[in-house]
Amino acid sequence: MTDKEYYLLPFDFTEISGKEVLVNELGDMIISPKGTVQKIVDRSLPKDDLYKSLVANFFISEQIVPPLAEIYAERLREKKRFLESWTGLHIFVLTLRCNQNCVYCQASSQNEESNGCTMSKETMEKSVELMFRSPSDSITMEFQGGEPSLVPDIFEYGIQLAEEINKTEQKEIHYVLCTNSIHLTDRMLDICEKYGVVISTSLDGPAFLHNANRGKKDSYERVVAGIERGRQAVGNEKVSALMTTSVEGLNYPIEIVDEYVKLGFHAMFLRALNPYGLATHNDNWSEYTDRFIDFYKKAFEHILELNKKGTYFVEEFAAIVLRKMLTPYCTGFVDLQSPAGVINSVLIYNYDGGVYCSDESRMLAEFNDYTFRLGSVDDKYEDLVFGKKAKEIANVWANEALAGCSDCALKQYCGADPVRNYSTQGDMYGNRATSLLCRKNKAIIEYLISLIIERHDEVMPIFRSWVS
Amino acid sequence: MTITIDRRIYNDSVISKALYWLSGDYLIERSLSDNNTESVTITANSATDISETELETRLMQTLNDFKLRQIVADETRDIKTILYAKAFAEDEDLSEEDIHD
Repeated sequence: MTDKEYYLLPFDFTEISGKEVLVNELGDMIISPKGTVQKIVDRSLPKDDLYKSLVANFFISEQIVPPLAEIYAERLREKKRFLESWTGLHIFVLTLRCNQNCVYCQASSQNEESNGCTMSKETMEKSVELMFRSPSDSITMEFQGGEPSLVPDIFEYGIQLAEEINKTEQKEIHYVLCTNSIHLTDRMLDICEKYGVVISTSLDGPAFLHNANRGKKDSYERVVAGIERGRQAVGNEKVSALMTTSVEGLNYPIEIVDEYVKLGFHAMFLRALNPYGLATHNDNWSEYTDRFIDFYKKAFEHILELNKKGTYFVEEFAAIVLRKMLTPYCTGFVDLQSPAGVINSVLIYNYDGGVYCSDESRMLAEFNDYTFRLGSVDDKYEDLVFGKKAKEIANVWANEALAGCSDCALKQYCGADPVRNYSTQGDMYGNRATSLLCRKNKAIIEYLISLIIERHDEVMPIFRSWVS
Repeated sequence: MTITIDRRIYNDSVISKALYWLSGDYLIERSLSDNNTESVTITANSATDISETELETRLMQTLNDFKLRQIVADETRDIKTILYAKAFAEDEDLSEEDIHD
């Protein structure tokens, strides 16, 4: 021991609910009285339980290099484990044709009857070959649109190609069909059943809200019928639904949650609008963001009440954050990663043969903005993922090195998003002081921590059940 | 509103980081009065409910927080390098001797 008494280890801090919340590089969190960090820095901490906790949890060390440095390093490695597994999510945009008219469409979908905008067999072959160049042992092949169920031939062809190549590659493959469930024909369901395809559908809430969002009078009935048919074909556990909170939807947090419970789901993702496609027409994103945060909290309180009454029901965004907060593990959620999920965790093969670094980046391309186009399916895999464009994006994809993020105590629970920065602020680096994504993520993460501080005994059994 | 900041207490990096978070809502002009004193003029971009006193209190708190963060960052720079190297640079063999106390 030197005259310093102890040595500091890297950590950051913020104030939430009148407490100082300390977070280290491992994502471990200590909730302490205000003034604790000043005492730590001044070496005026009494050697009480808090001191012992700070030592035990790698905030300070009584030796210049912590005796458990190897464990620290292993835990640090675990938090970034998603990098070792390389790109696991491969999204195939089969067509832009769609049979709905969603008011917030983020994918620039085209009319159901329109020609073109559909992936050719040749493009599918090259895309699947590229997918198998990923070193990842486990890959997910996700089919999107438009509405992919409108093109069953290319959907089935893609899976058949993957199955054939995998006879020699021997990877673990998961298939996901992202569909509005309006047009789930017997043929589509047969394909899903045969290959164990997970059906990810979309439902925005009760009939009046869902139909208004979709621009169709009977959309809700058809989606609910599609969900039931999907469950019969592939099993309840392989059918999930995703909601998008339209401006109108902001008024109905309780009703939306109750709709999911009524339909037998055990989880939902309270998802905000993304500023792409038609959604860019929303004229006040700042107001929307503030209203969404309020919506989120109301819906979340309702979900907590359901759980307290014995209904197991998970809010998935919170579960991802809590998993980062309460467990030693990383998550596979591409929107909350640093380095960012783009390229590292996801690649997009567009219907026209373009290869993009995220789903949102191909949406920008529909407005003739090809900033995030990595190349085409004719290019070599190495040129796509290690090329000039990828390196340019890599300069700004780690929140540990971004102004406003690098000093943020919540960075371990958040992520970097150069595509969102570019689309909303005009450059990939972004400005956290004016970023609405930063405002939203920070508000929700601080809210979850405030619940842990203020209502610990009430919420922790629920939170632990969500991350176990 | 103009406030003066003693640069012997808060260095340039700390001042810059603290002002960064105001830059969304305020126009900020920085100038050096002398080697040790910086004048910061802060003007709201639009009508605000925050009084000048509240804003000054918030800024001083933010400056103090960033100063603490700077101390933690400075004191942990070497150990952070060692821990990250242990985690991600497989052939690195850094130890106590690599820390410049």
